[in-house]
Amino acid sequence: MSKKLSLTTFALLASLVAPAAAQDIKVGTIFPLSGGAGPDGQTVTNAVKLVVGQLNEKGGLLGRKITVISKDDESTPAVGVSRANEMISEKVDLVIEGWNSPVTLAMQPILARAGIMDITAVSKSDLILSGETNPNAVRINSSNGFDAGVIAKYIVEKLKAKKVAFLTQNDVYGNGFQTAVEAEFKKLNFSGEVTMTEKFAFKDTDFRVQLTNLKSANPDAIIVTNSSNSSGLPAMVEQYRQADIKSTFVGAVGIMLTTVFKVAGDANNGIVSADIFFPDLPPFTSIPASTDFVAAYTKAYGVAPDKSAALGAAAVQVWAKAVEATKSLDRKTVAAAIRGQAIKDTVFGDVQFLPNGQMQPRYVVFKVVDGKNAKLEAIE
Amino acid sequence: MTVIDTSSPAPMSALRAAAVVVLIIVGFFMPRLLGGGSVAYSTLTTIAIFAVMCYGVDLVLSYLGEVSLGHTLFWAIGGYAAANLSVKYGLNGWSTALAAIALCIAAALFLGMVTLRTREFVFSLVTYAAAVVAYEIAFNWDAIGGSDGVVGIPALILPFGFATFSGLSQEDLWPVAFVLLLLTLGFIARFRRSKLGTTALMVQMNPALATSLGVDPRKIRLAVFVLSAPITGLAGWLYGYQRGYVGPDMFESYFLVLMLTAVVLVGRRILIGPLIGIALLIAQQNLLSLGGDWNKIILGSILAIVLILWPTGLVGLYRRFGKINSSK
Repeated sequence: MSKKLSLTTFALLASLVAPAAAQDIKVGTIFPLSGGAGPDGQTVTNAVKLVVGQLNEKGGLLGRKITVISKDDESTPAVGVSRANEMISEKVDLVIEGWNSPVTLAMQPILARAGIMDITAVSKSDLILSGETNPNAVRINSSNGFDAGVIAKYIVEKLKAKKVAFLTQNDVYGNGFQTAVEAEFKKLNFSGEVTMTEKFAFKDTDFRVQLTNLKSANPDAIIVTNSSNSSGLPAMVEQYRQADIKSTFVGAVGIMLTTVFKVAGDANNGIVSADIFFPDLPPFTSIPASTDFVAAYTKAYGVAPDKSAALGAAAVQVWAKAVEATKSLDRKTVAAAIRGQAIKDTVFGDVQFLPNGQMQPRYVVFKVVDGKNAKLEAIE
Repeated sequence: MTVIDTSSPAPMSALRAAAVVVLIIVGFFMPRLLGGGSVAYSTLTTIAIFAVMCYGVDLVLSYLGEVSLGHTLFWAIGGYAAANLSVKYGLNGWSTALAAIALCIAAALFLGMVTLRTREFVFSLVTYAAAVVAYEIAFNWDAIGGSDGVVGIPALILPFGFATFSGLSQEDLWPVAFVLLLLTLGFIARFRRSKLGTTALMVQMNPALATSLGVDPRKIRLAVFVLSAPITGLAGWLYGYQRGYVGPDMFESYFLVLMLTAVVLVGRRILIGPLIGIALLIAQQNLLSLGGDWNKIILGSILAIVLILWPTGLVGLYRRFGKINSSK
């Protein structure tokens, strides 16, 4: 009660001192800021704040300043729902959210029913864009379907593999990715065959049985899904090298994160994977909006931005361009200016959105050349 | 039986009945009294639903003296029944509620039979294991939602013959949540005075006496456990409609810790104890939040401190201070 009171008092004072403050455009962020995913959520939130700061320096949006309200969903859908309700009562004009798919799926209907523009930055579930949770959904991160396409293309056209095996995480993410890759193989008229599938659970850290089987099958490539990038995946990479498997380790899109390089070091050398943003690889080094963002982020936070930061930054940029183009903050108007449209000058360059709200990703396939220092080399 | 008889309250006086009616009316208009905003409605609807969820655990904890760590299972069954049946088969609220009740009773019968001979620590462990197994099934079984859960849950439809209730927003669902809470409170109040309630208490307090009176403790334990399941299940059922999304997160310890803390915080065997407990906890999380990590530390500490220092809850603490003061 006392907090509410003091807030009201503060709002009252603020409105007396600076009448313009009431005109501010409000941008809300809901990401995990505590617990295991806390550092990741902080990264996205920091990127949003940075880009909003840059917009304010240039005079804001529609002649108004933008303020950021950031909240912690604690990686828990029930908490995310409470935070979404708080955003509604604060009458924000945009919510940028989503590290975990279940949290996003729980918040989407709440925000949609209240008519608040909602952009999903990271969460990857296909259900997010199904239209059932939010008919005006917009997502920046790539989808499993596209991810599978780029990996299949590499295997078939670049590696020209004949025998392929899967090392798959046994859940919706892993199995879904495998199914999608196999479907892409068909589309590409893949002449080789899938010789083996080994599965494991998300929490596993010992993969020696599966790796021994894979070694004896000796395929040209092993396609790996493993989203446990702080414990399971580094362990898997180490054990893969110890088993002295000759097959190319092809990691699913977006799994080769800093933590894997930190823990497994040079054991990562030779791994092939793909992702949609790199601060120091082409084409991003020749996109002005990207180099500007990388420089500003590095200056502000002391480290180069990773993909999550770029996703947060792009969410603000995309929304701001749509607001400028339509001179409106209305959810349907702004969403219509994004869904199915092209947006120029984001950290990802000029981007195209599909009619369902998915940003079309631009992949870079890479090979790890110096795992210890996380040095990558772009293939193609 | 004299021990038991003294614990049952005297028949309600007219004054008391009037007070209850006033409280119910004030309770119903509470969201309006708190400003009528969407946060007032959503917070109070959530408190009402969570309170009902807690009463299932309360029944087992207060009257059997056992800590069930498996009630997230019934909570999730309610949510999954509402989600799957309304999305895939377009069933209305009555049908999904009936299915939720039936499934909860079936699951509780099974779990109750399995745990019939277990007590205390082992009982808690087995119920917890059941919830973990159910979580894994829900997480991996795509037909009921898998790890992504079920989206697109439609508005709650309750046909009454002469009219049809349809609730989508928090404002619409508040009356349903409020009525569900009232029904639950009424049920618990009745249970406390019922033969089953008093016998359950006797079995907990004095098993030897109960057995000597010809009571079969196992039957009583099973009956109370089975009764408790649909209460938590119905809360999960309404929660599914409120949130519009049901996923394996309903098994998360977030709900389990909430249930247990809310029940022990105020004190066991107090009718409105769980309701006040959950209201305090949700108010702390939403209005006086100290951030995710601190909230969890606070919630966990409260549970530990209450259990270690004042097993009788805030009411026990108040009584103790009351005694110290009066003895001066």
